[in-house]
Amino acid sequence: MAIVKTEKLSKIYNPDTVPVHALRDVTISFEEGEFTSVVGPSGSGKTTLLNMIGGLDKPTSGSVEIDGTTITGMSDRELIDFRLKHIGFVFQHYNLIPVFTALENVSFIMLLQKREKSEMENRAKSLLEQVGLSDRMDARPKQLSGGQQQRVAVARALASEPRFILADEPTANLDSTSAMNLLDIMEKMNREQNVTFIFSTHDQRVIDRARRVVYMVDGKIDRDEVQK
Amino acid sequence: MKTLLIIAWRNIWRHPGRSGVLIAAIIVGLWAGVVTVGTMNGMLQQRVSYLIDSEVTHLQIHNPEFLTERLAADYIPDHDEITGWLSQDERVRSFSPRVMADGMLQSPVKTSGVRIRGIDVEQESATTTFHENMIEGEYLDAGVRNSVVMGKSLMDEHGLRIGNRIVLTFEDAQGELTSSAFNITGIFRSASTEYDDRNLLVRKSDLYGLIAETPVFHEIAVMLHNEDDATAVVDDLNEAFPEITARTWRQISPELSTLIGLGGYMLYIVTLIIMAALAFGILNTMLMALFERMREIGMLISIGMSRKGVFIMIMMESVLLTLTGTAGGFLLAWLSIGWLGRNGVNFEAFADGIAELGWDHIVYPVISTQEYVAILLVVMFVTLLASLYPAFKAIRINPLEAAKDT
Ligand SMILES: Nc1ncnc2c1ncn2[C@@H]1O[C@H](COP(=O)(O)OP(=O)(O)O)[C@@H](O)[C@H]1O
Ligand SMILES: [Mg+2]
Repeated sequence: MAIVKTEKLSKIYNPDTVPVHALRDVTISFEEGEFTSVVGPSGSGKTTLLNMIGGLDKPTSGSVEIDGTTITGMSDRELIDFRLKHIGFVFQHYNLIPVFTALENVSFIMLLQKREKSEMENRAKSLLEQVGLSDRMDARPKQLSGGQQQRVAVARALASEPRFILADEPTANLDSTSAMNLLDIMEKMNREQNVTFIFSTHDQRVIDRARRVVYMVDGKIDRDEVQK
Repeated sequence: MKTLLIIAWRNIWRHPGRSGVLIAAIIVGLWAGVVTVGTMNGMLQQRVSYLIDSEVTHLQIHNPEFLTERLAADYIPDHDEITGWLSQDERVRSFSPRVMADGMLQSPVKTSGVRIRGIDVEQESATTTFHENMIEGEYLDAGVRNSVVMGKSLMDEHGLRIGNRIVLTFEDAQGELTSSAFNITGIFRSASTEYDDRNLLVRKSDLYGLIAETPVFHEIAVMLHNEDDATAVVDDLNEAFPEITARTWRQISPELSTLIGLGGYMLYIVTLIIMAALAFGILNTMLMALFERMREIGMLISIGMSRKGVFIMIMMESVLLTLTGTAGGFLLAWLSIGWLGRNGVNFEAFADGIAELGWDHIVYPVISTQEYVAILLVVMFVTLLASLYPAFKAIRINPLEAAKDT
């Protein structure tokens, strides 16, 4: 069964003033263990699609189903809880809590999930090790490079044991070494722990690393290919 | 909860300058407020204790008729039984019977309505501190017949000096007008010019001789060892002697009770005014903090922090911010009030005007723990109120803020 399934998903911004058709009848599904890139020119609707799948925004029409649960139509409160339990997020701007250390940032999401204290700390430490930051656990975001911050963000997304991780342009703010390093880490997690990643990008070298590539143009799926 | 507290606390120190200015403003505001309230308290309490100690006493006994009619005929029945009871009661420290007459003072200059109070110098001195108000001459010179002491202001009005004679006219117990000449032997100045303008003191024996054949008294003023017993003693007296009325100082002088209550009222007013000003600072600081954290809060909501959690986080931040200022302000205030409580605040510059109103010019500020708590509650109330708007704004932040491109 697919983890994510959209059905004729459409999104029109400003329907009453200057309508923008950001998504037009997108029907697509993603399976467990995928390592998929959503690509397309700027304005093609990548962010909008990811926001719909992540339950951050509501479609104008159509629906999103996650693990057999339709999230379209859920209340704001239900959506927050659903995101906390089932979806991991990595943002373009890292978006860590600046007053928290790397370790605290990773633990925080498990705290929101009300997990055991001891389990939280051990898990956060092991995740930071996995992303190669075992010696920077007590550093605050400001003291970390962009690449390091984004690795903390990946560790945080993974900490909540989500069904899949959504990453909108995760490498857009990184230099190419950091970007490839981040991709290495994501790929390794995907291979070894079967973590599902759906990420958007317009960087060809990042696209090359994806196993499935979904091409978008004008709010529609143009092509959907499996590489290699 | 603990984590939210940690975030809130660290967020405060993200901008040490901005938070510091607000905290400093709260410290200074509350320090000034508490010292002001303490000084007012001190003034009011000193005023009340002064009036109790010098004149009103803890409780007084009258013939109920006298309280409304003020006639010389309405003297206290069973005077000896009552004084006997008072002498034996252990709660009573001392008492002083007084003969009273309302009458007229005539001098070549003018005529004034006055209250003539006949006292036993020894008993009165043991009961009240009125003798401390004497500024010239003797309290009541036993060597002089019909000796009288007068207030300074009344003397000045009539252009009188020690050794002058005055004529007092009043009703006796039969309702007949009687006049008699008195010799001025002393001058007093109490804390109230109004009192000084209206009251004359004479020896009780000189006065009741003119009012009735036998000694009569219209008022017995009673001081207790402990003021807290006043209500109980009054109840016992009214029970034992149904034909008289005993009243505590609060009943005798409701305005004194009101004064004490006024102090509490002023506390809320002063704190509210100061906090109303500070509320804008809190609102401004929290809104600034909020606007620069839109993306961060959007992220928190995106990853699954409840809006309730965001609300609590913002409220905690402003509460911690004001609590820090409050702690500082209270500490400063506590130190200053400790010092001023020992050394007094001198209002010498206004001494004349203050005496006119009946106040001491050296004030020893006091403030109780309950008053600190009351101020803290007002501060918290205003803080919560001022943070409601930013907090409600925060919980309406769209999670998409986190994903915005810029
Ligand atoms: N909040 C919004 N309001 C109005 N138009 C928007 C909004 N967000 C995106 N759009 C428009 O929707 C279209 C798709 O945007 P987006 O999903 O961000 O594309 P991409 O991520 O591929 O660059 C664009 O034309 C964009 O201008
Ligand atoms: Mg985009």
